[in-house]
Amino acid sequence: MTDRPTEDPSTFSPLARLFLWCDDPAKVNRLVYGLYAVCGLLAIVDFLYTKKVYLAIEKVPGFYPFYGFFMCAALVICAKGMRLFLMRDEDYYAPRDTDSEAIPEDQLDRTEHNG
Amino acid sequence: MVDVLPTALIFFAAAALVLVLPRSVRAPVLLIAPVLAAWQVWTIPEGQLVIWSLMGLELELMRVDKLSRIFALIFSLAAFLGNLYAWHVRDPVQQVAALLYAGSAIGAVFAGDLISLFLYWEGTAIASVFLIWARRTEGAYHTGMRYLIVQIASGVILLAGAALYWRETGSLTFEAMTLGSPATWCIFIAFGIKAAFPLLHNWLQDAYPAATVTGTVILSAFTTKLAIYALARGFAGTEILIYIGAIMTLFPIFYAVIENDLRRVLAYSLNNQLGFMVVGIGIGTELALNGTAAHAFSHILYKALLFMSVGAVLFRTGTAKGSELGGLYKTMPLTMIFCVVGAASISAFPLFSGFISKSLILSASAKEHYDYIWAILLFASAGVFHHSGIKIPYFAFFAHDSGLRPKEAPTHMLLAMGLTAFLCIFIGAYPAPLYALLPYDVVYVPYTTTHVITQLQLLLFSALAFTVLMRTQIYPPELRSINLDTDVTYRKFMPGVITLVALGLSRIWQQQTSFWMRKLNLIVGGLYRTHGPEGRMARVWPTGSMVLWIAILLGVTLLVNFFS
Repeated sequence: MTDRPTEDPSTFSPLARLFLWCDDPAKVNRLVYGLYAVCGLLAIVDFLYTKKVYLAIEKVPGFYPFYGFFMCAALVICAKGMRLFLMRDEDYYAPRDTDSEAIPEDQLDRTEHNG
Repeated sequence: MVDVLPTALIFFAAAALVLVLPRSVRAPVLLIAPVLAAWQVWTIPEGQLVIWSLMGLELELMRVDKLSRIFALIFSLAAFLGNLYAWHVRDPVQQVAALLYAGSAIGAVFAGDLISLFLYWEGTAIASVFLIWARRTEGAYHTGMRYLIVQIASGVILLAGAALYWRETGSLTFEAMTLGSPATWCIFIAFGIKAAFPLLHNWLQDAYPAATVTGTVILSAFTTKLAIYALARGFAGTEILIYIGAIMTLFPIFYAVIENDLRRVLAYSLNNQLGFMVVGIGIGTELALNGTAAHAFSHILYKALLFMSVGAVLFRTGTAKGSELGGLYKTMPLTMIFCVVGAASISAFPLFSGFISKSLILSASAKEHYDYIWAILLFASAGVFHHSGIKIPYFAFFAHDSGLRPKEAPTHMLLAMGLTAFLCIFIGAYPAPLYALLPYDVVYVPYTTTHVITQLQLLLFSALAFTVLMRTQIYPPELRSINLDTDVTYRKFMPGVITLVALGLSRIWQQQTSFWMRKLNLIVGGLYRTHGPEGRMARVWPTGSMVLWIAILLGVTLLVNFFS
């Protein structure tokens, strides 16, 4: 994926090197399986304690996991659908907009990592 | 009456000082002013402390109570953190604007009457627009103009409301009002514009991403939260606010999912967070109003933190667009960690600030049995995690490697982000000091087994949805694009309609006038033929025609003499 396949990770800070596993698909897979496991656990926990809540619907077992998952999936799918009729080119409002404009260089400090 | 200096004047004096001081010592002034202000706000007693007479009007410049104190305190804190983040800026326009803006916002919070509120209200509008114009591009100029028109309109409506209110009640005191008369509706709408109510909201998403790198951080703190304060002061318990707030929490999250500019994603999520506060004001119970104040406090911090981290990326790479970024954790790990802290706070993870403030509002809505509103707020909470909690850090710092290897953010930015991140975690883990500042006594315990488990369920299953949609490639990719919002009406449709009407009118005018113009041209042409240089009459021209006209004049004189 990277356009710098030959770069040396040892130039990164020790803190950054702690996260280098994010580039390894196998380790990312492990993280995803970990998330599945935690979600599974949290779903089971729902049956193991007495909820102290205000509303009747909150007492339904699995309400929060179900609501969290499906509402978010619905959110993304609806938003994706909105793109069909709301999305426009970046320069749609140009030149009276900043979307297609660069920030003037004198307001930035583009120093490279090893610079 | 105690003899104290209005807090706003500390900022105004600092702004005047910045104008005359040499460049190298301006930045410390920008830090000292908020510290002095915070100290004053912390130590002054409650009550009506400063009353000035102006043209027969009594201006109450320092009404200190628990509600105004907490807002003034967080505004001072936000000004300090924002100015620390902007330590490198040497542009006096931005420095003065930041001070005047913060001062006006704090002045408005302490204003006890509608006229001083109006003056400071307009002060925030005028000062803040310079943070957009300071970008100094054509697009920023136009965006700033749009922003200014909306903000000034809000002020003008507020002034109209104040005048009507004075006629109606004989008082200009800014206190709890009942919505109903034209006066209160005007004031309500003026507040609503600044609070970014649905359909009045788009100035926010239009303007905030157009400001300078540091300007957006400062903009994010004041205007909208000032409006939240004003609504809490004037319209607590107004039921319509519950429904307005619920809509506000809902629709921006859809836009945030598909928006490419990460600063605009944050502007949409800011709008969504304001919705929670507006619902709290609408419910109006002590628990709900505490929730609004607490949420405004923690929101200003984590939202500033998120804008700071995205701003740092913009500062180093020149872009804040999701489609252009990715993989930055390798060289900006600290910025990434601070961004994740902001993301966890806005998502209301246990031990982070959002958890202990948002839950007050959700509990208040459930307790008062606004079931559907509660369900909407819960959906919005899960949605926030999706677009601000995951999307911002993921697309900026992870996702596909953009190949960009910028240097870590400068030290002063890291310091500002670190301090803000610390506060987010501190408030989240130990909410007692924040709860002590709230307008009413707090009997709420956020850390119960049920609350922690249900919140984790909601958030982690939301993360699960993100993961599944990413892996199945259903999740919409970041694309270089913009999305139409309500601003299309006044940026495209209305100018389009005006052009069409103008074209139609000019055609009708042309048709109507061309008939008469033809006639006139014929007459002029005829006269030219007879009297022009080549015309028949020109042969006898000057003497012939003069004799003729003298004969006519004499004849007319004779007739006048004869009949008079």
